[in-house]
Amino acid sequence: MAGMSGKRLQKELAKIQGVLPPGISLVSAEDLREWQMDLIVPDNPIYPPDEEYRLRFHFSANYPIEAPEVVFMLLSNPERKIPMHPHIYSNGIICLDLLDKQGWSPVHNVESVCISIQSMLASNTKAERPPGDAEFVRSNRSRPRDINFLYHDPTV
Amino acid sequence: MASYQADQLKEQGNAAFRNGEYLEAEALYTQAVQKYSRNPLIYTNRANVRLKLQQWDGVVNDCSKSIEITGANAQNHKAWYFLAQGQLGLHHPNEALTSALTAYDQVLHPQPSAKISPKDLETFSAFVLKCKKAKFSARDLERLRRQGDLRAELETMLETQRQRDLDEVTTQLRRSQLGNIEASERSQEISTTLDDKIASLRTVFAAADSANHKAREVPDYVIDMITFEPMHDPVMTKNGHSYERATIYEHLKRSPTDPLTRDPLTIRDLRPNFGLRAACEAFWDSGASEWIADWS
Repeated sequence: MAGMSGKRLQKELAKIQGVLPPGISLVSAEDLREWQMDLIVPDNPIYPPDEEYRLRFHFSANYPIEAPEVVFMLLSNPERKIPMHPHIYSNGIICLDLLDKQGWSPVHNVESVCISIQSMLASNTKAERPPGDAEFVRSNRSRPRDINFLYHDPTV
Repeated sequence: MASYQADQLKEQGNAAFRNGEYLEAEALYTQAVQKYSRNPLIYTNRANVRLKLQQWDGVVNDCSKSIEITGANAQNHKAWYFLAQGQLGLHHPNEALTSALTAYDQVLHPQPSAKISPKDLETFSAFVLKCKKAKFSARDLERLRRQGDLRAELETMLETQRQRDLDEVTTQLRRSQLGNIEASERSQEISTTLDDKIASLRTVFAAADSANHKAREVPDYVIDMITFEPMHDPVMTKNGHSYERATIYEHLKRSPTDPLTRDPLTIRDLRPNFGLRAACEAFWDSGASEWIADWS
């Protein structure tokens, strides 16, 4: 229902332009359907305190009933890298249960997703890519929402 | 025999409608009812075409006819829904709300053989909300107008202008001076420009005279946690949280779980929340001297 996502995104945008948690900032939301956020990870030596990571949110007409598509972006100007994490592929695709069909709930919002991702990075201890990263990046043709990740590593 | 011919013409009308040939479709439906005037569906279909042509009077007449044939208590949710849209187009939001609620109710409690689309509940629920907003916006405006309020006067003038411009487009369409797509685009443009003007007007007045034109906060308990819109038919889950019925139904179709706890949840587990519904109604009624900024 296109109406539902439009109204909801407008209201989220209005709220987000007010106050955001530390380390999270709105970069753009010109087209309501696609937003970009910048993220800093506090207190974790794996991620330099001044290194910013760019998240791209893409919303379908059925948001928030359907989860948004959230990926990290690799940019050169300004420079944005893909953070090292055993659940983040080098093409920016994120393996997080709350972004999945089963794990998503419509009471989540852009802010709560950013906080969850920030927290996932802040508590990380392994500066590595997921197993099979090179193969995945080379051969993957599916959209993130259609990939069924197996979450068998609850320690990360 | 006549009713068979009418059905043929109705089918041709439907085909024209699907092709976007609205005037053609209207003409075919008209021929159909002339052959046989007791098929409520033909009137409903013609009303649908007339909605596209923004012929609000025609819509109301056709829907009323359709409902008269089936009987006001019989299943005819499309007619009630189109009727609500026509009445809203004519700036009769009170009647539109009543019609919208009837359509919503008929889809929520359909007769056994009724043909309901999966999207109908959601669509009708959203339209009920639209009618409520229009009703209370009109009521506030009317009260301000009677007080000699300048903002109300200007808004009324802008609305009149909007209707004049839209009527002009319809006339041009009927005279074949405009194609269907062009007419639809022009109407869209007219409405959007007008909405922007009214929004700017309200901003200016609010800035200049905040005491009288202050936007009122909508209480959290009136708002659906999923759409962020005020509720009109809230239902409650086992853990005491309430959602707009149509919204939680849509969610459960994809994921039969509680949005907050992720416990299993089905439609049968939901209960109407009459207390909250009354609170939502009271919120709409308490318009008093304020209006709400983000109604659009």
